[in-house]
Amino acid sequence: MRAQFRSRIRLILTFVVLAALLILGRLYFIQIVEGDRYSQKADRQFASGGSGLFDRGSIYFTRKDGTSISAATLSTGFLVAINPQTITDPEVAYAAINSIAPDAITHDAFLILAAKKSQVYIEVVHRLSDENGKALAAKSIPGVQVLRERWRYYPGGLLAAQSIGIVSYGSGDSLSGQTGLEATYDDMLMRSGDALYKNFFAELFSNVGNLLVSAKDAREGDIVTTIEPEVQTRLEHDLAKVNQRYSSRESGGIIMDPKTGAIIAIATYPTYDANNLQDIDAMLLGNPLVEHVHEFGSIMKPLTMASGLDAGVITPETTYNDTGCITVNTKQICNWDLKPRGVVPMKQIIVQSLNLGAAWIATELGQDKFREYFTKLFDQKTGIDLPSEGRSLIGNLSKPQQIGYDTASYGQGIAETPVQMIRALGAIANGGSMVQPHLVRAIRLNTGIERTLDWSQTTPVFSPTAVRETTEMMTALVDEKLEGGKAKIPTMSVAAKTGTAQLTNGRGGYYTDRFFHSFVGFFPSYNPRFIILLYTDYPKHVEYASETLDSTFLDLVHFLIDYYAVPPDRGVASTTAI
Amino acid sequence: MSNVIHRFPYSLTSLSIGLVAVLAVAYIGLIAVVMSYAALTIEFSQSVRNDETAVAALESHYLASMTQITKTDYVTAGYTTPNTKVFVPAKSVTALR
Repeated sequence: MRAQFRSRIRLILTFVVLAALLILGRLYFIQIVEGDRYSQKADRQFASGGSGLFDRGSIYFTRKDGTSISAATLSTGFLVAINPQTITDPEVAYAAINSIAPDAITHDAFLILAAKKSQVYIEVVHRLSDENGKALAAKSIPGVQVLRERWRYYPGGLLAAQSIGIVSYGSGDSLSGQTGLEATYDDMLMRSGDALYKNFFAELFSNVGNLLVSAKDAREGDIVTTIEPEVQTRLEHDLAKVNQRYSSRESGGIIMDPKTGAIIAIATYPTYDANNLQDIDAMLLGNPLVEHVHEFGSIMKPLTMASGLDAGVITPETTYNDTGCITVNTKQICNWDLKPRGVVPMKQIIVQSLNLGAAWIATELGQDKFREYFTKLFDQKTGIDLPSEGRSLIGNLSKPQQIGYDTASYGQGIAETPVQMIRALGAIANGGSMVQPHLVRAIRLNTGIERTLDWSQTTPVFSPTAVRETTEMMTALVDEKLEGGKAKIPTMSVAAKTGTAQLTNGRGGYYTDRFFHSFVGFFPSYNPRFIILLYTDYPKHVEYASETLDSTFLDLVHFLIDYYAVPPDRGVASTTAI
Repeated sequence: MSNVIHRFPYSLTSLSIGLVAVLAVAYIGLIAVVMSYAALTIEFSQSVRNDETAVAALESHYLASMTQITKTDYVTAGYTTPNTKVFVPAKSVTALR
């Protein structure tokens, strides 16, 4: 009896063990050997066309109080696909789809697609809202599938579009960042599609290490930018106004913290809506502030002045005799108004924007010294975290002709990107050292850790004394000259310089009636929180930057003072008539 | 003192087989847990994405409102420009610091 019981028990146990082994073997084949195939099969039940739902990290703006607002995120909805082999009544199907998504597809186009009986899956409508998708699915139309879909969405639309960038199909068959921060930080924003199907047992069979410490989690994350959305909106609005008023070819601007290099706003006009890339001019997809070089004109003079003061060849009290025009290497260079000033001190070179004064400093510096300063300022890329950064054109400073140095001293004959220019001028606002301009301050890793990026590298160029003396001259320009002295803010020191450059005609010469206007300024002058660089390219029916950009600059200064509650740094209370 | 031999009532083979059976049942149980976990993960992930979409819509609305406010011409809206601007001195007790 007992032996019989034992044999039965053994029989049952043997059966259980065999069943377990069978299940184990089957599991191994399903999860490991054919895991990918089943994963894709599962995908198709949720999403379209054999691939997983699109997934990608977010990009955030940072408001002044530190809160984050999405600049780029994901939107979820539905797509509609048809199976021409099972669709019973194309007219009914079209009527149902058209009632939910009018104008998504024309009647004729739909019928042509529905007639392709050799195909089993054709997508006809994309980006349906959740509500509409569910409403269509509820109709259960034969041959019409309503599937989950996810896509890149930019809540700001136009806001900082050229810097945030776009995602599209590049050379491969997967979506990736093509321009802007989307491209620069593509590795961190990209998500591998297996996150939802991570399986403890499969991981055990394949790689225990990955289960404990994931390399992806240490790399993938969201991007937190330094762009402040309200300041960005203001800058874009002001640039659009300037561009439209003067029918300029292009206008641009950057607002940066001169101490850290954090870019608070960066914009150009015209731009594009990142959520609607149909019929877009491909030229707009790049970022002119980083990629294009310009001859900036007289905003170069503060750098020439700081170089001269730093080298010790001049002091603020030094004078020179301004004759209005001089001839150098058989070419004549003149002041903007062709008028002589006589014997004038250095400050007037900045305040009155005297080309001859800048050229005189360049001569005093000597070619080697001048080249040394300007090479340090412009020969290197800034290292900004945007793709396709352009290089400056300073070839004239490698030639022996003095005319190249003289014209470079007031910003003609050499060309730089706007980002290079604000970095160089930022040295005057930052005690003589150039900082590294950047748009991203931190990466929020998937693990929850926020990794702050290190942008602390600086390049010393000028002495603090030289930049302070240059700043005094630029502050005097605002207080005494800008808008006839009306631009002066009694309780806030503001340093600025205008620039007007002739545009090159492409034949080695310059147009006499086409100009590039630029404007740079920072405040408070002696402990700056913001540096602003503006330009407008080929404005019509206007000659000088003081006419086009001064009101834009002052609007931004007053806005920033109010918005950030920048405390006054000088003066007594006063009342100014408007 | 007597020699008492305690005999284990089951053989080693039976024990091993029993252990394997228990492990097999535990394994099947774990499979059920893992499958439930995967299903919940997908559901939760979708729920998070739906919430993100809703937040993005709100953020879009906020940014559009901000743009609208920036574009507003206050004179056209019926406001008049101030006659004078009073600047707060650096030494004022009301100056922000």
